[in-house]
Amino acid sequence: MIEKILRRLILVIVTIFVILILPFHSLVRWFKRKSRDNAPIVSDQSKKGFITRYIDDFWLGNSGRAQNNRVFVFFLLPSLGAFLLFVIYPFVHGLFLSLTNWTGLNTGNESFIGFENYRIIFSDVRFIFSFAQTILYSLMNILAINVVAFLLALLVTQKLRLENIYRAGFFMPNLIGGLVLGYIWQFVFNRALVSLGGVFANSWLASGSTALFGLIVVVTWQYAGYIMMIYIAAIQNIPLDLVEASKIDGATAIQRLKLITLPMIAQAFTVAMFLTLVTSFKQFDTVMSLTQGGPATTLPTWIGAFYGLADMPVVQSTNLIAINIYQEAFSRYQMGVGQAKAIVFFGFLLVVSLLQVYYNKRREIEL
Amino acid sequence: MKKLLVLLFSLVIALSVTACKPEEKTLVIFQNKVEIDTVLRDYATAWGAKNNVKVEVKTCGGDTCAYGTQILAEFQANKQPDIFVIEGMGGYNIYKDKILDLTGEPWVSNTDLEFMVSGKVYGFPVAVEGWGMAYNKELLVAAGVDIDALKVVSQAEYAAVFEQVKNYFAANNMPNHAVVSMAAASGMHWVTGLHNFNGYLSAGLAYNDSNVITKLNNGEVDAARLAQLADWAELLFKYADKSILTTGTYDDQVGKFAKGEAAFLHQGNWTDSSYKDSKFTMGYLPHATMAENNDSIFIGAPSYYVINKDTNMSAEAKLFLSDLAATNEGHDYMVNKANMVPAFNSVTLKPKTPLSAAVMEWNQAGKAYAWWQNDMPADFGMGTLGPIYELFAKGEITKAQFITNVTAAIDAVK
Repeated sequence: MIEKILRRLILVIVTIFVILILPFHSLVRWFKRKSRDNAPIVSDQSKKGFITRYIDDFWLGNSGRAQNNRVFVFFLLPSLGAFLLFVIYPFVHGLFLSLTNWTGLNTGNESFIGFENYRIIFSDVRFIFSFAQTILYSLMNILAINVVAFLLALLVTQKLRLENIYRAGFFMPNLIGGLVLGYIWQFVFNRALVSLGGVFANSWLASGSTALFGLIVVVTWQYAGYIMMIYIAAIQNIPLDLVEASKIDGATAIQRLKLITLPMIAQAFTVAMFLTLVTSFKQFDTVMSLTQGGPATTLPTWIGAFYGLADMPVVQSTNLIAINIYQEAFSRYQMGVGQAKAIVFFGFLLVVSLLQVYYNKRREIEL
Repeated sequence: MKKLLVLLFSLVIALSVTACKPEEKTLVIFQNKVEIDTVLRDYATAWGAKNNVKVEVKTCGGDTCAYGTQILAEFQANKQPDIFVIEGMGGYNIYKDKILDLTGEPWVSNTDLEFMVSGKVYGFPVAVEGWGMAYNKELLVAAGVDIDALKVVSQAEYAAVFEQVKNYFAANNMPNHAVVSMAAASGMHWVTGLHNFNGYLSAGLAYNDSNVITKLNNGEVDAARLAQLADWAELLFKYADKSILTTGTYDDQVGKFAKGEAAFLHQGNWTDSSYKDSKFTMGYLPHATMAENNDSIFIGAPSYYVINKDTNMSAEAKLFLSDLAATNEGHDYMVNKANMVPAFNSVTLKPKTPLSAAVMEWNQAGKAYAWWQNDMPADFGMGTLGPIYELFAKGEITKAQFITNVTAAIDAVK
């Protein structure tokens, strides 16, 4: 069993390698073919190990399969090149930079300092606070957006008059850019809502304990319409015969929702949850314009206690992780530390989103 | 095939011919004041026509463009400007390998505000700016305050004056009026974390006394000064308009004063552009950062033009800067077009805007405390101190906690 997995792994690595050298190999082959007209390349199968045999059979040999595969690779090359250049290379370079003392200006002179940047960020209570705050924000935000979006989707699929106008209306906030939205809602919270009194008497954006909720209100208002569209599409795809059959059997509206609608749109949940999860964690523009990371608050005692602090330092309550990384890199000119934070954030987000997709997928039904 | 070759060949020739054209010299200025963009462009074009140099002015600043980030990107993209802007020691430390030594330039002898590091001149002061307690003369006179008596001022005197003005507002049914207009929320951290805190670094000291800022950069606290600063902040917050203090923007803060609804404003002379419709006389009084004997306002050059060491245009760049300080056109541009207060003794024109004129007056009287706020570590003032001030302003931490927090923040500098 282990040997089999190991072999698979080796073959995957070999495949990547072969794909990379294939253009050169083909070039060489083409020149050879020109000089020695079509001398067949005969190979003795029996004497070789599994790797060489695999390369020969699948990639470089004369078999039909190998020739086909080579053609596929050539079709793949343009996009593969772009992917390597714009995703893989920057990522690997970023990994390297996170291990250096790069400040943005000592480019070329940066020195390798091992895991020092990672030690710095994990001993920084402000970063830990940002991380905790981002997780809290994301959980509440995912919940709020999905609940609102799903309810809106149910509402506008009820054969209402003017339902298209409602749909367009709910979708509209998504067309306003996050920055503009932040400034508009800053006015709403600081000037308009305060005049209503009650829970709004003190601007939500002025206090560290409420600013996060203010942010959630704004982002939900903006993003729920978009997620609603996904739910609408899924709800419209539910086969009508299922619904009719359940009606004939006497199912109530709630039973239909629970036993037919929810399972049938599980796929939409996977997509919607993934989108909201990723955008919540990466929230930047709206925060920047709505609160600039503030207002200030004192560090929650549980984080302080974990680090053995007697006096709680002052932190910024909506300093979400994307803002924190930006400030580290561009306000304090600590590019290396900022890069290390970004890598930690990437790893965390990767694990969380993979888990989310895995668990959501298990709930999906194939008809 | 042959046609293609001919085509290619002619293309190559055409390209190389264009490349051989005599290159036009372009002096690139990358600056950070949005408000002077147009006038600087006009001045630079006129200057360029006279000196046969093409001048390109690029501007990045204000709310929409982060100069620090953008200049970094320009350097990384190898689109290096010939003249760019640094803000004091912090900027110098970042760009020191790129900055040309300007010692001995003709304008240096005409100013006290050039940017120097260990005896060498590196920066041309763009303008002089200053802040203190801007006051509304009509309101203070109506409330019976003797303004001249406040030119050397203690915290106790300010406390009495604030109370007097407050009582005047109460007695005359002026509920919309505030004694002090000050903002401390996110986005306004520069008012507190940089401008107010600068009092701790320079109030009561000689103009070139860098002892407190040096200690701060070594992680040492001057407890006596910090306690007096905390008293001053507490006094300001107590008499400040609460809504502007905790949620106000720049426009809210300055607007209150411009409408004549605030007796004092915690801002600098750059707010002059907001007073076109203001119908009252204004001026500056000192901050009472120290308990006693505050007799100066904070005056400095916020930014300096520096020349890129790696440019091949350094002669033109030097000429541009010295002409700015020496020619009548340069003076006219600085004072009348850009509404700046020039840092040079050679300039005799007077600013037309009220607070700039007040700054010039205090400066000529020699009553200036230095600016050290830009010499603090990057982001320390706005990112670290600003939030502490904000909590103190909202009353979420006490004065004692304010002092502990600032002390801890300075301790962490090292």
